[in-house]
Amino acid sequence: MSDTLTYDLNVNGEIETITAPAEETLLTVLRERLHLTGAKRGCDQGVCGTCTVLIDGEPVRGCLTIAALCEGVEITTIEGLATPEALDIVQQSFVDTGGIQCGFCSSGMILTVSSILKSNPEAGEAEIREGISGNICRCTGYEKIIDAAVLAAQQINGAAR
Amino acid sequence: MKIHKPATLQEAAGLLAADDSAQCIAGGATLVAMMNSGVVEPSALISLANISGLNEVTKASDGSVIIGAATKHKTVAAFDSFSGAQNIVGIAAGKIAHPPIRNMGTIGGSVAVGDPAADYPTALLAAEATFEIVGPAGSRSIPADEFFDGFLSTALAEAELVQSIQLPAGPENAVAVYDKIAKIDGDIAIMSVAVVMASSGDRCDYLRVAVGGCGPTPYRVAEAEVKFINGDLDVAIELLVAASDPMSDVRGSADYRRKVLPRVLRRALITAQQMGGGE
Repeated sequence: MSDTLTYDLNVNGEIETITAPAEETLLTVLRERLHLTGAKRGCDQGVCGTCTVLIDGEPVRGCLTIAALCEGVEITTIEGLATPEALDIVQQSFVDTGGIQCGFCSSGMILTVSSILKSNPEAGEAEIREGISGNICRCTGYEKIIDAAVLAAQQINGAAR
Repeated sequence: MKIHKPATLQEAAGLLAADDSAQCIAGGATLVAMMNSGVVEPSALISLANISGLNEVTKASDGSVIIGAATKHKTVAAFDSFSGAQNIVGIAAGKIAHPPIRNMGTIGGSVAVGDPAADYPTALLAAEATFEIVGPAGSRSIPADEFFDGFLSTALAEAELVQSIQLPAGPENAVAVYDKIAKIDGDIAIMSVAVVMASSGDRCDYLRVAVGGCGPTPYRVAEAEVKFINGDLDVAIELLVAASDPMSDVRGSADYRRKVLPRVLRRALITAQQMGGGE
């Protein structure tokens, strides 16, 4: 019989009080308790990257993270990226270049690209390829995703100038 | 399942001693994957996150480097004060899986699994690392070649955990080559070879070669290192291949590993020579 724990998570800037079995992963809590279904369950082994969320701005695997150990960190999911009015620059660039096909990898890809460009706005194609190397896409062949990331980088740098 | 958040290592060791099926958790990259697939069902997780000093890399005044067990791969890969032989560990850290896994996984978690194909064990053997272990009875240190004592097995006794890993200074002018063969970038190695080589003048006078993924543990062959220093590359490679005991698995057959290992060894050793390890 597992302990049921009550703890607070900071998800997309909101404090959410969770009551759940101790072993629940962040991915399960996000999807099944908070109904934030942008993060997907692919392999549940940390291999595919579809469950990617940001913790303190860095991409991690939601499926390999125990939710009850996430008190005190900032969790960002794909739902936290855009405002109700407009998509985020990275999301819009994925739409503009055709970087989304079935969509299963998109949340993880977009969050990962967003984190790469936040920590290194000058990131070129090589840094982008390395950065998304842990996210599997079975539709696009990656080229359109890299186009999207490069476009987003150009727009972020253009806006900064 | 319960979750404990001890503030000291001794407290963590006490919790481990009190519960046979409790598991320590740092990054979770391996443990939670094993929980998700039902391989382990811990009765309790002992989080190491609140134990101070466990997630730091520090350089001591004698030139050695001490890596806390809960230090993430990303931190080790980015550490910029490794010298000579120690660089093999930073290079290997940067070859572990992908950036998000390196944001999570820790050196203590990696070595405690005892996977002979993992990147750290092979590199730590070549760096002649020493493991600081804490348990209910106190602390002890174990050299890397005794720590890895079998397939998915380590010298950690019940209720013991890794506190830190110490890398001796080694030769200042050593070069480090980590040659990892994997089906795709970021996968677990089919095999890996870690070379630390130093020279005086243009002659190699120091060599450590560790082989991973070709036996139940990563291994070195001291006689092969001496043969190489004495100028006999071919015999050195033969001795290292003769000591291999590869398995067949989903990544490659034992025959494949036996066929490829001498070529990877040759490439890694020659690369180290060309980088200035000496002839």
